[in-house]
Amino acid sequence: MGGEQSLGTCFGFGVRSALPFQFLRRGVGEELEISAPSSEEEAPEGDLLVKWRPTPERPFEVRLFHSEGRYRVSIPDSGWYEVNVETRSVTVPGDADGVRREERLWSVPATLLLLARGDLPLHAAAVEVDGQAVVLAAPGTFGKTTLAAAFLSAGYRLLSEDLTCVRMQDGPEVIPGPAMLRVRRDVAERIEIGNVHRLAESEHRVHFAVDAALRGDCAPLPLRAIVLLRIADDGYRIEAASSAAAVRDLWNLAGTLPTDRDRTHSFTAATELVRSVSVWNLHRPLRYAELPNTVEFLVEHV
Amino acid sequence: MIAPESKLSRNEKAVARRLDEGEGGVILHLESGAYHGVNEVGLVIWELLEGKPTHRELVDALRERIDDPPAHLEDDVSEFLTQVRERDLIVVE
Repeated sequence: MGGEQSLGTCFGFGVRSALPFQFLRRGVGEELEISAPSSEEEAPEGDLLVKWRPTPERPFEVRLFHSEGRYRVSIPDSGWYEVNVETRSVTVPGDADGVRREERLWSVPATLLLLARGDLPLHAAAVEVDGQAVVLAAPGTFGKTTLAAAFLSAGYRLLSEDLTCVRMQDGPEVIPGPAMLRVRRDVAERIEIGNVHRLAESEHRVHFAVDAALRGDCAPLPLRAIVLLRIADDGYRIEAASSAAAVRDLWNLAGTLPTDRDRTHSFTAATELVRSVSVWNLHRPLRYAELPNTVEFLVEHV
Repeated sequence: MIAPESKLSRNEKAVARRLDEGEGGVILHLESGAYHGVNEVGLVIWELLEGKPTHRELVDALRERIDDPPAHLEDDVSEFLTQVRERDLIVVE
């Protein structure tokens, strides 16, 4: 390790780095070394493992390569990330914008670290309700981040906004991720988001950091429920998801993974998750004015 | 149509997991993401496929494994195999 001080935590990792960070939480964790490359040489690519297609949160393709025991991730708006899951170290692009660089660090590179640790990464948001975690996922639709913002504004702790780390070993638990929030510009104009401060704006998003008072640490929280967000025009309705459909949705939320071993692990974990925690389908009106009611409804019913 | 003497096996890229008791299970193709929910009998068939039986052997073995098998068991098995074959979850030789 490079001797740097631990700056804070994210996904249970204690981050050591000479670089500035915006989204860390308090506490200590397993050491994770983050550094910028010592030279400007572009990393060699290695064997292409996966291409991640663009998503609303990441409107460009991400490519993952593997070579000599290390992963290399090409993220067009930031640069190269080199991930060594054995030594738990990540090299990040030295010349990238600091906020964007950190946001990208906590996406695909973090997914690789979580998989290596045996956790289940899910493309979902998570909030804390009464000391437990509630995962908010929107398979095939949208609205999870906006709803997470509404929870945060109502004073609930945001545990993750896009990538949620689930650990199965001691009963399902959620390990808090980066204290960040990215919302579409039109959403930021329509709703007032509390307990955050604005860091940056990009073409499509406004980028916030959660205020220190609502960050907490990365201690795992028991997973209380997974809520699959659906759209309804006729009020609120909540129902238990069928097991087979819930596994399918959770598997899809695990996203595209690099190896058969990772895919088998995530599929197994998704199956165990469905057997051990409540999975709900929430049909709700997708209107900004309804957000506080949706928060209240969920707190009461899950 | 799968012939009675066709040899059957699981696709190496397919994995199955059991859900809660009475809820059957799920089979996933690791590369394509094709996904198939199965009932308890489907899980038994999946288990029997490990022995790489012929279609005929599979039906006979299944008849011994389940209580009060229906008269149209062979048709049901054929339908199941056709579905999982369409998703590339089994290999037919």
